[in-house]
Amino acid sequence: MSAAAPRPGETLLSVDGISLAFGGVKALTDVSFDVRKGEIRAIIGPNGAGKSSMLNCINGFYQPQQGRITYRGVERRQMRPHEAAEQGIARTFQNIALFRGMSTLDNIMTGRLLRMKVPFFWQVWRHGPAMREEIEHRRFVEGIIEFLEIEHIRKTPVGRLPYGLQKRVELGRALAMEPELLLLDEPMAGMNLEEKEDMCRFILDVVRQYGTTIALIEHDMGVVMDLSDRVVVLDYGRKIADGTPAEVKADRRVIDAYLGVGH
Amino acid sequence: MLYNVFVDPFVQMADMPDLLVQVLWEGTVAGVLYALIALGFVLIFKASGVFNFAQGIMVVFAALTLVGLHENGVPALLALVLTVGVMYALAWSIERVVLRPLVNQPDIILFMATFGITYLIIGLGEFIFGGRPKAMITSELFLPRGAIDVQMLGGRVTFQKLDIAAAVIAGLMVAALAVFFQRTRIGRALRAVADSHKAALSVGISLNQIWVVVWFTAGLVALVTGIMWGARSDVSFGLQIIALKALPVLILGGFTSVPGAIVGGLIIGVGEKVGEFYWGPLVGSGIESWLAYLIALAFLLFRPQGLFGDKIIERI
Amino acid sequence: MFYREAGQFKTSYEADMAVFPIRQDRIGLAIILVAAVALPPFLDSFVVGTVLVPFLVFSLAATGLNLLTGYTGLLSLGTGAFMGVGAYACYKLTTIFPGVNILVWILASGFFSAAIGVVFGLPSLRIKGFYLAVATLAAQFFLEWCFVRIPWLFNYNLSGAIEAPSRSVFGIPIVGASATPLARYYAILAIVVALTWIASNIVHGRVGRAWMAVRDMDIAAELMGIRLLRAKLLAFAVSSFYCGVAGAAMMFLWYGGGEAKDAFSINLSFTILFMIIIGGLGSLLGAFLGAALLHLVPIFLKFGLPELGVPIGGATAEHLTHILVGALIVFFLIVEPHGLARLWATTKQKLRAWPFPY
Repeated sequence: MSAAAPRPGETLLSVDGISLAFGGVKALTDVSFDVRKGEIRAIIGPNGAGKSSMLNCINGFYQPQQGRITYRGVERRQMRPHEAAEQGIARTFQNIALFRGMSTLDNIMTGRLLRMKVPFFWQVWRHGPAMREEIEHRRFVEGIIEFLEIEHIRKTPVGRLPYGLQKRVELGRALAMEPELLLLDEPMAGMNLEEKEDMCRFILDVVRQYGTTIALIEHDMGVVMDLSDRVVVLDYGRKIADGTPAEVKADRRVIDAYLGVGH
Repeated sequence: MLYNVFVDPFVQMADMPDLLVQVLWEGTVAGVLYALIALGFVLIFKASGVFNFAQGIMVVFAALTLVGLHENGVPALLALVLTVGVMYALAWSIERVVLRPLVNQPDIILFMATFGITYLIIGLGEFIFGGRPKAMITSELFLPRGAIDVQMLGGRVTFQKLDIAAAVIAGLMVAALAVFFQRTRIGRALRAVADSHKAALSVGISLNQIWVVVWFTAGLVALVTGIMWGARSDVSFGLQIIALKALPVLILGGFTSVPGAIVGGLIIGVGEKVGEFYWGPLVGSGIESWLAYLIALAFLLFRPQGLFGDKIIERI
Repeated sequence: MFYREAGQFKTSYEADMAVFPIRQDRIGLAIILVAAVALPPFLDSFVVGTVLVPFLVFSLAATGLNLLTGYTGLLSLGTGAFMGVGAYACYKLTTIFPGVNILVWILASGFFSAAIGVVFGLPSLRIKGFYLAVATLAAQFFLEWCFVRIPWLFNYNLSGAIEAPSRSVFGIPIVGASATPLARYYAILAIVVALTWIASNIVHGRVGRAWMAVRDMDIAAELMGIRLLRAKLLAFAVSSFYCGVAGAAMMFLWYGGGEAKDAFSINLSFTILFMIIIGGLGSLLGAFLGAALLHLVPIFLKFGLPELGVPIGGATAEHLTHILVGALIVFFLIVEPHGLARLWATTKQKLRAWPFPY
């Protein structure tokens, strides 16, 4: 599939001249940036700037009309979402996309589906290899549950959980995939301060503990500035700035985009 | 074999054009009736997002009520008026008992609820009027009888006067509905509700009232369809299988498009009659029972949004 | 009071993942199974033949449909036809190879309907919801037509119906005119118990989770690496397998030598669908509860009411059944969309906490 996995600091993903349009509406125009192994990369911008569309392009849900995406040194144009998952790209969603009819545990277990290989024949009996495999992955998932401090809601159907916890379960489900690149779409939207602090802690721990690379969309500027190593700013589907948080904060065009021109 | 499938039917068509015209006309009439049922579906789907499986049964129920009342000595026109009242009562009770408690439930739940309505109506109809097939009253409702024979293309083509009347009445009704949707205040409210229940509520549209209106309108459409259809065959719940044919029509036309329902109905009606007449004998005939579904299925694979539907963009 | 889980600790993940983690549930299930084996010889053979055997056949078909509709979220109106494929396959197999054990053929016929199910499941990749329901209607009407128009399927019988030949297992006739209801009951019971156990294994494992993920949010499921087409086709295959076996069992173990040209009509599809709606979508228990309720209501109206002294005609009973079934569907969708199975779960939950619910 690809050459050796990039080492920390090398480019893991690069997006080159991406344009995406729905009919006549241009969601993204000629956007380029890169994500390095082991960093936290933030994508910010006003509402409707095309941030979520960008993530959707990266994990294959949308097919951009123009441009290249290079992941682990391999360039690709067309990719189905499940292929992205197979290559180690996981994500969470702005409007939580959990499997509402299933328990927390089962939701996170779905993250292990790609790694469960025992054939259907054994599944039917639920003994022998199938059971051993289940237990092995259950053990891994319990590790994530412990890490995210959600032991008490292990068997609760996720539809009944409060918003903040649902976000946490969704993060858990993505982590269960042991992704190389984790895309977080507004992981802290709608949370109170305490929940936000928890979530920040989890994100930093993920990077430290699992060595995961993270690209995240966030509106809370405080969070973005503290958390991320580098920031890319989109406005009306175009990239208007790219750099360290400090650089971006000082950028004229970013201030214009957020506060309006002629402030 | 190849000759029989790809050449012979067309040779037959060219040989006897009068027969072809006759088959096309039969198909058109069937298509108009399918379109009428589909129209009832579309009305309700547009306004409430409910895929009303019971529309076919409402057709039978309306016809059965009309005939049943007449059999019990009610004069035809009075029976007609009373049936309209019954359809209103039906719309009102469905809104009150089924729809109101299910607001904001997933579409599929509402869809399944209409299965329940279907069975309730079948049971009620049979319970009150009995399960035997009945004959539709036609002359009492001033519907023409008999046929017109036209000499054309070296042969004779027969048009039933009733079928002509059906086509004309269907056309008038569609025109009336179009005006109703485009020009009246309620029509505008209906279109708002179709977009979003919550948003419509927030601007002060009464959902309950709208739903009653729309189900009542669908009930009226059902009544007209039931009269026309009953006059062609019998009035019995056996018609519900034929009513299912409206589903492929909807797939062809799209769930929200009135012109789509009409065009789809005609395509299905003509398609299955022509298919049955010219290709049916090759495989032992009777293919009318599934040809419509197969046409729809083939169509779905290439254009899932229907003839007139908008392209679906999935979001997440 | 007796329904407590206090003191039952799980010391391994295996114990925690058991289908019935609570001891009382396991005891209850054992009691039901023992009763199902031991009691029927003491029952009237009419009851065994008209109540128990059909109930088990319906439960099996409902389980099959529930795997597709309840677990994977794909609505199918073709159940009746898929059952028919099983029945006709079984008939062909047992008339071509009369020497082979009929139970083997009943199970094998499931593979034929699985194959047909996969073919008609192919459109499910591009279409869903109501659209898919219409696609399965195509299967229903096309297959129904085949059952009538292809005489090879019913061995050119003039009546056009399947005639069940006499077949024995271990010297006991279980199919044909000489088979007793009791023998037929044990045959179907064995099949249902085995297949239900397998269904439970499937839905509690990797495959079941993939199905439910597809049901709850197919887009997110795909982003988790689930191949939608594969998951959906597997659901169609397994579900149709169950329906096929149920259809074969219906024809050979229930109808017996039956005349049943219209047995696999669209009405059968609806009946099975209603069973899982009322019983509970996405619950194996629900398939059984729904089958019990929907099978028993008509029997009660037809035979029970006259017994109780309420005179009621056969036709009236049928009409009342329609009304009642319709009302039940609406009632359950409004009050408890998860059906009887959820009611049962809620009751158990209350029982656990009783008498101090807070």
